[in-house]
Amino acid sequence: MPEAIPMTTSFALKGTPDVPTQVFEKFLEALKEAGASPELVARLRKTLLEDKKFTERALKEAVLAEEPLP
Amino acid sequence: MIRVESITIKEFRGIRDLTLDFNGKTFAVYGPNGTGKSGVVDALEFALTGNVSRLSGEGRGEVSLKQHGPHVDRRNDPDKARVMVKVSIPSLGKVVAIERSLKNPAAQVTPADSEVLEVLRQVEAHPEIVLSRRELIRYVLATPGKRAEEVQALLHLDQVGQVRVGLQKIANACEKQLGLLGTSVAQARENLLRALGITELGKEKVLASTNAQRASLSLPALTDLTETTSLKDGLATPSPAQPQRVPKAQALADIRGTREILAEICGNDTVERVIEVTADLSALIGDPAIAASVKREAFFTIGLEFIEVGACPFCDDLWDPNELKKRVQAKINHLKEVSQKRGAAEAKIAPLIAALRKVRAAINTMVGYASISTPPLAMKEAREYSGHCEIVIERLLTLMPLDETVTVLTTVPTIPPAIPNSIKELEQIVAALPEPTKQDAAREWLVVAQERLENWREAMRKNKAANEQAKMARQISDIYANSSDKVLARIYTNVEKEFSSFYGFINREDEDKFVAQLIPSLGKLGFDVDFYGRGFFPPGAYHSEGHQDSMGLCLYLALMKYLQGDNFTFAVLDDVLMSVDAGHRREVCALLKKEFAHTQFVMTTHDPIWLRHMRTEGIIRGQSAVQFRNWSIDQGPTRWDARDVWTEIEDYRKGSNMRAAASLLRHYLEYESAELCHRLHAPVEFHGDAQYQLGELLPPAIARMRELYRRAKKAGNSWNQKEIIEQLSARETGFAKLASDSNAEQWQINVAVHYNSWDNLAKEDFAPVVRAFRDLLGGFTCTECGEYLRVSPDRAPAEAIRCECGKTMINLREKSE
Repeated sequence: MPEAIPMTTSFALKGTPDVPTQVFEKFLEALKEAGASPELVARLRKTLLEDKKFTERALKEAVLAEEPLP
Repeated sequence: MIRVESITIKEFRGIRDLTLDFNGKTFAVYGPNGTGKSGVVDALEFALTGNVSRLSGEGRGEVSLKQHGPHVDRRNDPDKARVMVKVSIPSLGKVVAIERSLKNPAAQVTPADSEVLEVLRQVEAHPEIVLSRRELIRYVLATPGKRAEEVQALLHLDQVGQVRVGLQKIANACEKQLGLLGTSVAQARENLLRALGITELGKEKVLASTNAQRASLSLPALTDLTETTSLKDGLATPSPAQPQRVPKAQALADIRGTREILAEICGNDTVERVIEVTADLSALIGDPAIAASVKREAFFTIGLEFIEVGACPFCDDLWDPNELKKRVQAKINHLKEVSQKRGAAEAKIAPLIAALRKVRAAINTMVGYASISTPPLAMKEAREYSGHCEIVIERLLTLMPLDETVTVLTTVPTIPPAIPNSIKELEQIVAALPEPTKQDAAREWLVVAQERLENWREAMRKNKAANEQAKMARQISDIYANSSDKVLARIYTNVEKEFSSFYGFINREDEDKFVAQLIPSLGKLGFDVDFYGRGFFPPGAYHSEGHQDSMGLCLYLALMKYLQGDNFTFAVLDDVLMSVDAGHRREVCALLKKEFAHTQFVMTTHDPIWLRHMRTEGIIRGQSAVQFRNWSIDQGPTRWDARDVWTEIEDYRKGSNMRAAASLLRHYLEYESAELCHRLHAPVEFHGDAQYQLGELLPPAIARMRELYRRAKKAGNSWNQKEIIEQLSARETGFAKLASDSNAEQWQINVAVHYNSWDNLAKEDFAPVVRAFRDLLGGFTCTECGEYLRVSPDRAPAEAIRCECGKTMINLREKSE
């Protein structure tokens, strides 16, 4: 039985420049150089590059988690 | 990634049943307007991506893929509308079948192993493999903002933009929060100053004031005020049994402070602000469209947050998340004006919210004193008013619905009459309290002062943390913007260089030094091109429409090359370059051959000259083209396919429809004769309108073939190739007989006479005529591959007669040459 291709979000082509990944990597590198905490960089890396979540809600969790208002 | 081997289209758009064999090679679909070329393009896009951009997206109105994708006679039976493609995946060494129906656009794939599915997902994610002239020109003539969107969509930069906007919003929200926290700090400071009985918050003044009280209790003076200093350090903690007492002096001071705060909320400044904001909101309410838009903008903004999986958060219908986000974002963008008005109203409302918070805190303090007073005072109205203030604050923060906000706004400067009365009553009770001893007063003073100092410290700490958070969020947002700008600038520089090189190549005869500039700024993408060294201008300023078309193609190719690199193996160019003149089209062919030798293009055109250019430049070879001759609603496109045509003529003849048989034979012979003249470089009397009758084309083609055989024999003789000369003589004799049987050469006397006479033939008499012409056309072909012979090279003195497969190669150059 032939298989149906599931619906997907866009993704990079293997071996070709993936522009969003380039931008995110450059951003995380710059963030690290600017002295951002390793935890913040790791959270943003997970959100942007691993989970590929780009909503404001997901970003807010990554940016403000562990630094909530006391 | 992939190459398309073949496509079968059934009941899709204007096509009933059509199979085309691409064999993984660049392929041309030629036909006059309305013969079904776009149906092939749509079918390819549908098979590979599950969508037809022509039938979806912005500006398509009521047209939809599901409803209008099937052939009009199958519009209620979308399952019958099917497209099957066979694609080869060179990296995997596999050939894969993909089938989709309009009823269920999900692809059925065979074989469906994970590697194959991964490649097909990549293809599905790149609908930009199909480029029409409409899309092409959008890259060139669009406004900078729109062009940025187009280019960003092509480069999949929507995610980059989404993150940028998200981080900006977070930074803005953090900064907005600072305002509210600043108010809390100010309020805590005022309360502390009132408790300390001073007007300025300085270390020396605080210590002086505090030590005066401590001295009354024989407590040692504080020598320093640090973050942890307690003003009541050393003071005995009251036993739990001891009833709480109203600190008389402090309570009276707070009552005075509360009156000032209440006076402020009823003051002119507040009243004027309420009137102003009410007018703004009423204006929004007064326009039903805007009011509805405000609601929609809030709805879409919230909805956008929930799009994380492939379904609409509202109706649960399946969607491509990116497409859905793009649509929702577009709607939000359209409502920007409304957003700005909302932002302006919120900014004006912010001081009212701060004032109400102060009122609420002050009233709560009064209620607190009342609860421990003797006798206790209920202050029911004050409690209710405090609750009311909280509701109003919430409503003003929410803003929607606007009419409810306007209603509560009117209550802001109004204090219930019972409040001043109950405060007065509290004041009387407090004033009637016996004066405390000096020690008691000092003790109460220190307790309240310490409590308020802690409140102020807490407010300061929160404010400091929020400041740091806002600073961090802004820094993250700025770093992201800076990083993405750098990456994008680098990409645009690369694309700009490739684009200039491609365009300069096509126009190298007069614009070989051509350069272009892609200028990204704040989400826009400027595009200026050099105009003969006179400066940089928008492409539409001075360049012709044809030049703009080729710019669009070059920009597209440069972007695709950057985006897909070696994986750019397949693209559909639908009727692009129609405004480009013949000379430049030839250069486009050269460019495709030079720079995109590994890319399979499927190109459509209604221009036979453009088709010939593709052939002569070697972009398409052999059978890699289909030529539609007409289209009917019942049959779909009919192609100039030799097998089909001869069968159709035979069918007409057998049915004694001699008029139709004769007409089709003439048109087909005209069409093929033009191709023969082109291939053999036959001299034809030139017509400016490029319209030729059969009698003006076929005889020159026959004469040219004969002349070429004569020249070939002469050349063979010069090389002393007896065997070849014998073969050529046999060919020549055979061809002469075919020409004689058709009687075609006599038409040069009267180009119309024979066609007209065919109408009058009996079907038995017409059969040998058909056979004669069929055989004659066969005389122009290679016996191995069946392709028409052609003279080589294309635009230079003839050196050989050859075919596509290489089997036929007849030398025309004599030894002396």
